[in-house]
Amino acid sequence: MFHFRLDTSSGVPPYLQLVQQVQQAVLLGFLQPGDRLPLIREVVESLAINPNTVAKAYRQLEQGDLVTGRPGHGTFVNDTLPAAVPPATYTSLRHGLQTWLRRAYAAGLDDHAIAALFSSVHHQTKTKTKRKTA
Amino acid sequence: MRAQPALRTRNVGKRYREAWALRDCTLELPPGRVSALVGPNGAGKTTLLRLSVGLLTPTVGSVEVFGESPTTNSVRALSRIGFLAQDHPLYRQFTVADLLRFGRSCNVRFDHELAARRLTQLGISLDARAGALSGGQQSQVALALALAKRPNLLVLDEPMSSLDPLARQEFQQTLMGAVADGELTVLFSSHAVHELERVCDHLVVINHGQVVLSGDIDSLLAEHRLLVGPRIETDPRGSRSVVEVKHSDRHSTLLVRQGAAAIMPGWQANPVGLEELVLAYLRRPVDLEAGSHKEPA
Amino acid sequence: MTWMMWRQHRSEALALAIFVGVVAMVLFILGRPMHALFPLGSAHCLAPPLDQACRSALVRLQQDYGYSTAVLILLNFAPYAISGFLGAPLLARELEAGTWQLVWTQAVPRRRWLAFKVVALGTVSVLLAAGLSAVIGWYRRPLDLLGGGFDITGFDLTGVAPMAYTLFAFALSVAAGAVLRRSLPAAAGAFVVFLAMRFTVAGWIRPHFVTPVTRVEAFVPGSGDITDGTSNVQDMILDQGFIDAGGRHITGLGAVIMEGKAREGGGDPTTYLHDHGIQRWVVYQPIERYWTFQLIETVTFVGLAVLLLALVFWRIRRSAF
Repeated sequence: MFHFRLDTSSGVPPYLQLVQQVQQAVLLGFLQPGDRLPLIREVVESLAINPNTVAKAYRQLEQGDLVTGRPGHGTFVNDTLPAAVPPATYTSLRHGLQTWLRRAYAAGLDDHAIAALFSSVHHQTKTKTKRKTA
Repeated sequence: MRAQPALRTRNVGKRYREAWALRDCTLELPPGRVSALVGPNGAGKTTLLRLSVGLLTPTVGSVEVFGESPTTNSVRALSRIGFLAQDHPLYRQFTVADLLRFGRSCNVRFDHELAARRLTQLGISLDARAGALSGGQQSQVALALALAKRPNLLVLDEPMSSLDPLARQEFQQTLMGAVADGELTVLFSSHAVHELERVCDHLVVINHGQVVLSGDIDSLLAEHRLLVGPRIETDPRGSRSVVEVKHSDRHSTLLVRQGAAAIMPGWQANPVGLEELVLAYLRRPVDLEAGSHKEPA
Repeated sequence: MTWMMWRQHRSEALALAIFVGVVAMVLFILGRPMHALFPLGSAHCLAPPLDQACRSALVRLQQDYGYSTAVLILLNFAPYAISGFLGAPLLARELEAGTWQLVWTQAVPRRRWLAFKVVALGTVSVLLAAGLSAVIGWYRRPLDLLGGGFDITGFDLTGVAPMAYTLFAFALSVAAGAVLRRSLPAAAGAFVVFLAMRFTVAGWIRPHFVTPVTRVEAFVPGSGDITDGTSNVQDMILDQGFIDAGGRHITGLGAVIMEGKAREGGGDPTTYLHDHGIQRWVVYQPIERYWTFQLIETVTFVGLAVLLLALVFWRIRRSAF
């Protein structure tokens, strides 16, 4: 059974954390097509989280065609996953990031500086990419 | 058609002798949601909660719970409401079983089985005296009593402030489980803002007896942006959408509502956290005159 | 609700029942030998002429049971003891413990809850008071011979008035609980007001419930009796004295000089007084008015109790607790 976690200090809204965890788990293969997500009630009991939040996360996942809710049975991971990234690409990206991180440490940046730099560049790049695609 | 609000207050004011504990308070709680009432001590939270369960009568204005005034104190109105007061008061001499029997004898509908089962699951003996239980267990007993009424609106006053972290989590689990079980709207007051995101989806912020912010949490977070940019000299506070302005030597930070739309060049828009948002609204000076009750002409 | 009431107040109710039971038992044990002094009943010795048996019994009564007066005076606290215990915590304990918020958000409207409690606990107090009053009435019957028909050793302990006092003390302590919001201060505050009210009514107001009877009597020469106008020992004497032939009151020194003159010759002073046209007068409430007075006093205190309870109900409706 899949387990959710919740990091209240991350600043990411709880429903988004749940969505992201399912997305990641599917990408990384922890969740296979046909797997059942925990019932809302089960998530609520284990995380002490608002059921509306879980429902919202599941709705969002359904809208993204990642899962399908079958009333009375539960919510299941879909067979037809959106174009998955090939494992080789993952490995190469991971490698590139490791190299970059080593260079950053070598240059004397600490964890906070790296995080700040990453989030700033991430934000800018994301905005630019969105504008282009829009 | 919009669903009938679980709680609706219109221009509600409550005055104790000379001082207004609550003024011109107008708000609606959507049904089936978990709403947090946030504000500093003395902001009028307890007054608002007591008004909403009919323990107090408003000096002016009206309160409705599912379209019915709790002030009438009718059996019907009382049956729909569950209330958990601050420090979860119980009859300390009573055993847990006595308390459940009390609930059954004072209510039209009372799910005795459910309450007894829930407490037994938590390892609380029905033969124990309420006064001998730990704070966490007392809060669970009080919650079980309130939930056994199967209320449509459950109101809790600082339910978790006196609990240790473990008891707090168990309490949240029971509460959220009850919400998952069905038609239950929850309103609770708290001053631990950082804990709210996990359990709430709606937020009401009050300060100096007035509502300063109210709405769906995700929408509120989506509507607000923290703009950071070079220091500005003009005071943009005249604009209604600017909530707060902070200046440092070289740059200014603006908290704006509906702000992401028109960003000035050189400015960066960041999402804002819930706690930051709440604090910004609480720091805003409240216009006491504008909020004070105006006698109807 | 009935179960709830019982569960919440059973210890106080039991303690009070035991208290009343013990007092009744003690009075019964003390009263038996006192009653035995008058095998024909004490009423037999009330009206003169008294036979020898009555006279010796009266002497024994005065010698052996003089302490009864002290016992009876103490019993004036009983109405408060009975109902203050039940009344003061009725609201105050809920307010102290915060449980008012628990009980008033169950599906019992709080005015109904209050009405139920007031009626139930009020009835328990009044019944206990009635029981106690009956026992005291029996106990002090021989003591009628020593007086007390209108004072705190008799009137205040018998008949229906004690029940009215109890109801008043109950209402007072409930109201004090609503105002002071703490059981102990409420009990203490109610006690002080209760005593003040009772003293005021018994001491200053009661004598004037009904216009008192004034009787003026000439002395009977040769009777030897110069006491100032006695009537039944049970009557409430408000004032008494002598007037001269001109209708002027003889007071203080004048009365002493007059008595000296009357006794000068060593003969019967009544002859002197009669000859000088001096008369004795008394203003009093005759014991025949006992029930009228009981009724007035009962109505007064029940009325006060109703007023206080009405205030409590009014307060709880708005509930600014």
